[in-house]
Formats: sequence, C-alpha cells, structure tokens
Amino acid sequence: METSDKIRLLEEMLELKNGTLNESTALKSIPGWDSMAALSLIALCDEKFHKKLSGDKILSFITVKDITDFMG
Amino acid sequence: MLNPMDMTGKLIIVTGASDGIGRAAALHLAMLGAKTVLISRDVNKLKLISEALGKNPHKIYPYDLTDLEGIEDLIRTISEENGKIDGMVHCAGVSPMMPLKSTKYDLFHNTMLINFYAFAELVRCAGKAANCNDGASFLAVSSVSSVKGNKAQSAYAASKAAVSGVIKPMAKELSSRGIRVNSVLFGIIKTGMYEKFLEQGGDMSLWNGQYLGLGSPEDAANVISFLLSDASKLITGTDLIADGGYLS
Repeated sequence: METSDKIRLLEEMLELKNGTLNESTALKSIPGWDSMAALSLIALCDEKFHKKLSGDKILSFITVKDITDFMG
Repeated sequence: MLNPMDMTGKLIIVTGASDGIGRAAALHLAMLGAKTVLISRDVNKLKLISEALGKNPHKIYPYDLTDLEGIEDLIRTISEENGKIDGMVHCAGVSPMMPLKSTKYDLFHNTMLINFYAFAELVRCAGKAANCNDGASFLAVSSVSSVKGNKAQSAYAASKAAVSGVIKPMAKELSSRGIRVNSVLFGIIKTGMYEKFLEQGGDMSLWNGQYLGLGSPEDAANVISFLLSDASKLITGTDLIADGGYLS
C-alpha cells in the first residue's frame, strides 16, 4: 500500500479532511489524537495490516511517518 | 469446625479454568473439597493447572465454548463420566477494548458468543434433570461494566448486561428444583485481562472509585466459592457486587 493510502486511512480513522496529514505531522498536534484514537489505531493495524500494535509502541510514535513505517 | 462453604464431593464445572479468575476458582474450589471439571480451549494450560491440582479430584475437558452446537454433548459427556453436576461457574470470556466508531456488529457478535451465548447454553444444558442435581448453583463471572460501562467497552458492557438480564428468568424457571442462577459483578481484578487492558492503553483513572484497591484472583475465587456453596442458598437471580466499592 502506498504511503498516501496509509495516510488516508489515518485521516478516515481520525475523521479528518483529506490532506490534513502528511508524514511529518506530529501526532501531538493532531486534534483527537487521544487514548480512543490509540485503540482505533490498534484495530486499524490489525484489520488492514495484520500487525499487532501495543500501547507501549504507540507511545514511541512521534510523527505520522512512525505509524506508516510500522504499517509496513 | 463448621465450614459453611464446604464443597466436599460436589461436582463443579469451571470454564475458562486455565487463566486468571477461572484458574484461581478451580484451585480454591478444590481446596474446599469439590470435584472440579475444568474447561478451556487451551489444552496445554489445562495440563499445567491439572499438575497444580495434584491429587485433588478433577477432570479436564479441552473445548472451545464458542462452538455452541457442541455444548449439549459436552455437558452430557461430563455428567455421564463424572456424575450429576452440582454447580458451574462461567469464567471464560473476552473483554475487547474498542472505540464506538470501530465497534462493528462482528465485535458485538464475537463478544456475545463467549460472554453470553455460551453461558446461556451451558445453563440450558446443565440445568436439565438428567445432568444436574437439585440444589445446583450456576454462576456467571460478570462485571461492573454491565451497569457502568466505560469508554471503548460497548461490546463488553452489552454482553455482561445480557447476562444480568438472563439470570432472572433462568433462576425462576429452575427454582422448583432448588437450582440457583446468579452473576457476580467484579471490578478490576489483577489478571491477564487486566494486563491486556493496560497494554492497550487502558485508562486506570476511570477506576479510582475502586477505593478498596484492585482485587486478586484469590479474592474473586472466594466470592465464587460462596455463591456455589450452600452458604448462599437463599441467593438467586442476583448480580452480587464485588467491586472494592466502585459502584457505591
């Protein structure tokens, strides 16, 4: 999957407009990036990428690129 | 010495016996003299608890309780091979954490399968006169989330609330034979599910109201043993709260 498609999935998950995020976007700057979003990300990575994501791993993510890299 | 929770010779089924509350309940019931029948889908973990039980009389039945169609045969086999059942505690279950917008119907269904449908089917089958003794006690391990669900618990809370709903008609239908049906609403108990809750970023501040502190599996096993024993023979159709004060 292309990086742009992964970012679009994140935007849909966070209910953000297309083009809101890019790889350098800091997660702390994203409206709605909270514990509920973290749980949604766990579900997204499991469902779409068959990858298990832990709470500790999420805490290590700084930017959107960290997430798209994890998605593989 | 009088022991009102004496379980000597009673045949008690424990589902989810390989971990957490189920494992602790199995060990505790055995120490009270019960003959335990342990059910879990994980045969290797069942063997480990079998070793822990040592000479205590017990049997293991590896089974995946989400296979609802086979529960009738499972219960019949257990009663034919071990005698009539005196009690059952349903500890098997799942506690998914999922925000509402990601909670699709399949998560509700999968959660209901083990937390509710399996319990209902176990009681339906075990409650038959051919399979259980009069005065038997059936119990579901439930949660305070059934009445006070937190964020990301829609499926879990719904499944536990369903248990609270079903025990009342069950208790009334089975009362003519002195059979009791209850649930116990636990707060946070320090088990593998609790560890998973933390791992998924669970917010423990929501549980500050549990002012007696977190429970241990052994604390839970004590409550379960009470509700399975004749010491609680006047209690039926009830959600017994054991939550360290959370709902008070």
